[in-house]
Amino acid sequence: MIGAFSLLFMSALFSLGLHRTRQLKSFAVVALLSASYFIYFPAPASISGFATSNAVTLFEILLLIVVLAIILHEEEELTITQTLFITAGAIALLEARTLVSFIISFEALSILSFVLVSHIKNSIHAEGAIKLFIAGAIATGLLLLGTALYLIGGGNLLEPFSLHSSTLSLIGIFIILMGVFYKLTIVPMHGWAADTYAQIRPSHAAILSALVKTVVAIAAFRLFAPILAEQSYFSLPLLVTLSLITMTLGNFLALFQQKIGRILAYSSIAHAGYILLAFAAVKSTFASTGLLYMVIAYLFMQTAVFLTLDILRNRYAFQTLNDLKGLAKHNPLLSFFFSVQLFSLAGIPLLAGFMGKAVVFYAAVDAGLWYAVLIALINSALSVGYYAWIIKHLYFDETTQEHKPLKHPLVILSQSILLLGTLYFGLFASYIFIVGKSF
Amino acid sequence: MNSLALIFGPILLAGIMGLIGRKADTLGKYVALGLFSAMFLYSVDLLTVLPVKGYYDLGRFLIVAPFDFALTLQVDYLSTVMLILTSILLLLVTLSSWTMKAPSRYFALLILFSGPIFGVFMSTNLLWFFIFWELTLIPMFFLIGIWGAERRIYASVKFFLYTHVASMLILLAFFLIYHQSGSFDMNLIKESMLTTPILIWWLLFIGFAVKMPIFPFHTWLPDAHVQAPAPISVLLAGVLLKMGAYALIRMVILMMPEQSHHFGSVILVLGLITLFYAGFMALYETHLKKMVAYSSISHMGLVTVAISTMSYSGLGAALYEMIAHAFIISPLFLIAGFLHHKSGSWQMEDMGGVMQKAPYLSALFVLAGVAALGLPGTMGFIGELTILISAIKHYGLSLMIVALGSMVGAGYMIWTFRRVVYGEMSKTVEKSDFTMNPIEFLALVLFAIFILFFGLFPSTLFDVINMAFTSFGGIQ
Repeated sequence: MIGAFSLLFMSALFSLGLHRTRQLKSFAVVALLSASYFIYFPAPASISGFATSNAVTLFEILLLIVVLAIILHEEEELTITQTLFITAGAIALLEARTLVSFIISFEALSILSFVLVSHIKNSIHAEGAIKLFIAGAIATGLLLLGTALYLIGGGNLLEPFSLHSSTLSLIGIFIILMGVFYKLTIVPMHGWAADTYAQIRPSHAAILSALVKTVVAIAAFRLFAPILAEQSYFSLPLLVTLSLITMTLGNFLALFQQKIGRILAYSSIAHAGYILLAFAAVKSTFASTGLLYMVIAYLFMQTAVFLTLDILRNRYAFQTLNDLKGLAKHNPLLSFFFSVQLFSLAGIPLLAGFMGKAVVFYAAVDAGLWYAVLIALINSALSVGYYAWIIKHLYFDETTQEHKPLKHPLVILSQSILLLGTLYFGLFASYIFIVGKSF
Repeated sequence: MNSLALIFGPILLAGIMGLIGRKADTLGKYVALGLFSAMFLYSVDLLTVLPVKGYYDLGRFLIVAPFDFALTLQVDYLSTVMLILTSILLLLVTLSSWTMKAPSRYFALLILFSGPIFGVFMSTNLLWFFIFWELTLIPMFFLIGIWGAERRIYASVKFFLYTHVASMLILLAFFLIYHQSGSFDMNLIKESMLTTPILIWWLLFIGFAVKMPIFPFHTWLPDAHVQAPAPISVLLAGVLLKMGAYALIRMVILMMPEQSHHFGSVILVLGLITLFYAGFMALYETHLKKMVAYSSISHMGLVTVAISTMSYSGLGAALYEMIAHAFIISPLFLIAGFLHHKSGSWQMEDMGGVMQKAPYLSALFVLAGVAALGLPGTMGFIGELTILISAIKHYGLSLMIVALGSMVGAGYMIWTFRRVVYGEMSKTVEKSDFTMNPIEFLALVLFAIFILFFGLFPSTLFDVINMAFTSFGGIQ
């Protein structure tokens, strides 16, 4: 962890000096590639409170690949630097094993994401950024309140959660979990997310909704899974209810949106519900595999759709579904990328999104939650309604407008990387199943 | 490796054709024709290697150690019959789409459809069966949505959503099966391993009943069939509905015989309701293609009745009727679509006297029509007769009412002839020009030849069909 983290952190600092030069992007790419080398061949030294595992290593490497795609896509220099900082923070959070290391890395990631969106250009951006900031502040408050209760109840900051904690400590743990749910946009802690994701720059939303959310999900699962399994009498009904409400509300609200950004934002909330179902299924041996698969699939497809939205907004000034009409005629490549990723979000087979959902849902069936899975499956099927509706605008409608086709090589490369990930994990599952057990 | 190439090859090929785009316009149909011929030859060739009993192994791929996710490809007589039928229909559909607009994209999607549909019939792993089952929706969604008629968007989205929701029930059932039996392999799963067989049976039955379609889950079909371009209606009726019937036979009747015995009366009653309800709807319809669509549902009701007998003769009759239905209903859809394309009207009252303008086309329409109502000498007669016999044998003489279904069929068909083919020539027909592309006409003639040949020599088909069910033990 030390190697990759310090490399990314140092190169983020160094990259500040490269602004307004042509080398920034290539420098960032080199930094990411060498960071993945350090993750694959870790240094023997380690810091207490941080530990890696096969699943985390796989996820970190895929995370770096996705960040590579984001950086290839990105043109704003500040964002590139910030992305490197966030990646460093993400790697620290992924490997956190104790409460104190979790809180420190979690807060670091939060603050870095405030800095990311603080580059405000107009009042619409400002609204999204402020909402993120306020929600983040509440999350921090809950996190610290929970930690305080946990400590008063006799908990130890420097070890993983004890399975035999006092009642007060348990209350503290669940309050911490609620703070974490703010970042995961679980209903009713989701209020900020739709506005933030839809109103800040879409490439920033890609980082917040895909990268940060998945990292928090994995870190939280590593930290909380034993205690959730132990306290299943209380945690199971809570998590199942929250998960079902989140996916149903997210899908339901997405159906009525006109703006593409809002549809994708609500779809992201709905996916948080699917991710939470893996937490609820923690008793099954497939829960960790399911979470890992879901999160990997979600990372690729969610990043891809928000980066596509970035292209649509910045290059074509598209906002609503009506603008999309007939895009496939003039812009077949972009429409193809977009629709494959949307089908993956909808859970169509041979794409990663289907496998992710399938493994999570199987884990839930395995844990005896088949009624919850039935609701989740119907949810997932109905979500096709709005994904297919976007595709309908792309392919079935006619337009009189002329658009220049997408010819930017780096953007095409970045979309191709993400598409490759979605296709690969839709077909080849075995590696995730092998590492998924060692979380 | 051959079998895997037949499934994933078309998917890749469709991607390549999509990338080449309009430059492949002239080439598209020849590529499709070549591919589908290869698929046809491959599946006919399977007949020579199949063992008398059990499956012929085509290989296991993509093995995932901790989860039973291996793509296991195996075929027996039942699936080989379906493969041959599918490839023949794909060939004929290619011929009848010879003058389709935007051909490169159209044929790319058709090729994209052909891979997964082969996967459905070849795979014996439940999860992979489901993956291919769902994958067939994507090309269909685009084919209906882009090339369809006026209300194509409504129809395609409704088709996609309705059948997708139903599929979710199937997926849940498969997960429950895996959880309780520890296997996705349909040969290893026995009913006695399951702890909640009733729940699983209902989930599977409803899921497959939507595809069949069985009343009351049929409402997506009239929309999808009417709005789809005519060749795609052929695929919907000839391949997609058959997929539902195939799955019902294989995964409900043969995999869970005890529960199916228990709920046999449910299948029978729903089958009878489908038969009569759709028949009377067809009688009532004035929309030509909708009439054909309801007639198609009505025939699937017959298939359901035959399946519900769960007997050797009943399943054989069901399989024969499935093939007969594919060959009979397809020319009706094609001609109905063609008449609409040329005259601009769907309504039967706008037509009349087509015989005077296009005698050969009308003759083919009448031939397919009389086959649908079960005239001796055509496939329809053999299908309905064998179903009637097996139903009476199994349930007693009260099942004579199945024969009434054919009478309703005679009612709407003959009345349609009167309104469309014969009678005085209407103004719409007088204005329209009914010349057909010779290759598309050839496809219709081939359908007619199949209807007559297997109607006159049913034993050629029954030899193979009977093999499909002798290989299964446990069925009386």
